[in-house]
Amino acid sequence: MLEGLLVDLVPRGDTFEQMEHKWENSEAHFWASAGDRVFLSHATIERWHTEERERSAHRHPKGVRWGIQTKDGTPIGDIGIGWVLPHLRLAMLGAMIGEPDYWGGGYGTDALLLIVDYAFDWLDMRRLWLGTMSINTRVVRQMEKVGFKPEVRSRDAWLVSGHGFADEIVYGLLREEWPGRDAVIARLGLVARSE
Amino acid sequence: MLEGTIVDLVPFEDDYATYLKQWMNEESWFRARPFDRREPHTEHDVKKFIEDMEKSDHGQLIGFQAKNGDPIGGLLYDHEWTRVRKAAAIFFVGDMRYEGSDEVLDGLLMLLRYSFETRGMHRMDASVLAFDETRLDAYRRAGFVHEGTLRQHVRWDAAYVDLHMLGLLESEWPGYAQIAPTLGLQASDLEPKPKPEPEKKDEKKDK
Ligand SMILES: CC(C)(COP(=O)(O)OP(=O)(O)OC[C@H]1O[C@@H](n2cnc3c(N)ncnc32)[C@H](O)[C@@H]1OP(=O)(O)O)[C@@H](O)C(=O)NCCC(=O)NCCS
Repeated sequence: MLEGLLVDLVPRGDTFEQMEHKWENSEAHFWASAGDRVFLSHATIERWHTEERERSAHRHPKGVRWGIQTKDGTPIGDIGIGWVLPHLRLAMLGAMIGEPDYWGGGYGTDALLLIVDYAFDWLDMRRLWLGTMSINTRVVRQMEKVGFKPEVRSRDAWLVSGHGFADEIVYGLLREEWPGRDAVIARLGLVARSE
Repeated sequence: MLEGTIVDLVPFEDDYATYLKQWMNEESWFRARPFDRREPHTEHDVKKFIEDMEKSDHGQLIGFQAKNGDPIGGLLYDHEWTRVRKAAAIFFVGDMRYEGSDEVLDGLLMLLRYSFETRGMHRMDASVLAFDETRLDAYRRAGFVHEGTLRQHVRWDAAYVDLHMLGLLESEWPGYAQIAPTLGLQASDLEPKPKPEPEKKDEKKDK
């Protein structure tokens, strides 16, 4: 477990897998998948889990996915590294808080600080990156706040349901630019809250 | 076969498959695929790569050759994403005599013609290692726009190097018939390479 101020990152067990049907069919999927909407049955999601387990048994290196839960133990989403290239010491991050009620409340940033520290301090990555739709204001704000640099603006890189084409912004963070989680918490003045 | 101005596009088979055993271990290959680990490719790897591309639902491996039929290298139409209508346009030069030549540019233009005019793509992606002026020049001449740079993204011979990211939109593509004549494409008129030895016959012959 990685302990944050508002959330903890925990193994994604059955509790999280059971939430996925709700999360993936919700607006959260739209933001996390860069503009897609899907209709997923329980059976499909079940099959994903089985396939994912089979694949990850053979795959090296594995991505890493943590569950995000609030301090009172409510599962709200997940965060992790989907694509890791050890020979480049390069990792791509991804996150989805499946419960819209929790968006914009600082939970995602708290989880992000944990995963950045984890990627540098435990996995010995050297650079982290992530792409998002230009219209995903929460991610854009979050990245700037935490200290990622916008490096590329790919024009019309996503087709967004109900919007048309949108640009992708790609962010990067180098290890030497990362002062450590404690320093960022101090700079942003983040504090734990009593629920 | 798709006929260009100074090159033709053909299925990646026969001599191409033989040449690829060499090409896939050369500099130009790794420059075209900056995320790959630098490692030796065996005959088995080469065969598997060709097979995988052939089976792929979102890619095509295409050979391109001079008008005299001499193979130059390969074009990769890859990572096609039909919902978003985008794909990656990648080329590698096998016969290094053609490095930086107009033949390579024509190959890239023909790949773009295929992407926009046959596959109906909206956007094409490309990436170039920051020091690779020759590749950057080919993409630029074909109309690609530099959209940003991923800092120190790739490990390359004891250093971390930047990766330029490029894009070209269908609205910016004038059409092959329009753009090709404006670029003054000149054939290099090189002598064809000697044909590769036929496969698997008399393996002990030259021992
Ligand atoms: C992306 C995500 C993990 C971020 O987590 P979060 O808890 O919502 O983010 P935070 O609250 O920590 O930070 C978001 C920032 O955006 C701000 N923000 C929220 N809504 C905003 C809006 N409409 N316009 C401008 N800023 C906004 C917040 O105020 C906050 O900034 P602040 O701390 O300066 O006030 C979460 O929103 C999520 O899962 N969204 C759906 C899926 C998704 O987009 N995944 C990422 C794909 S790349």
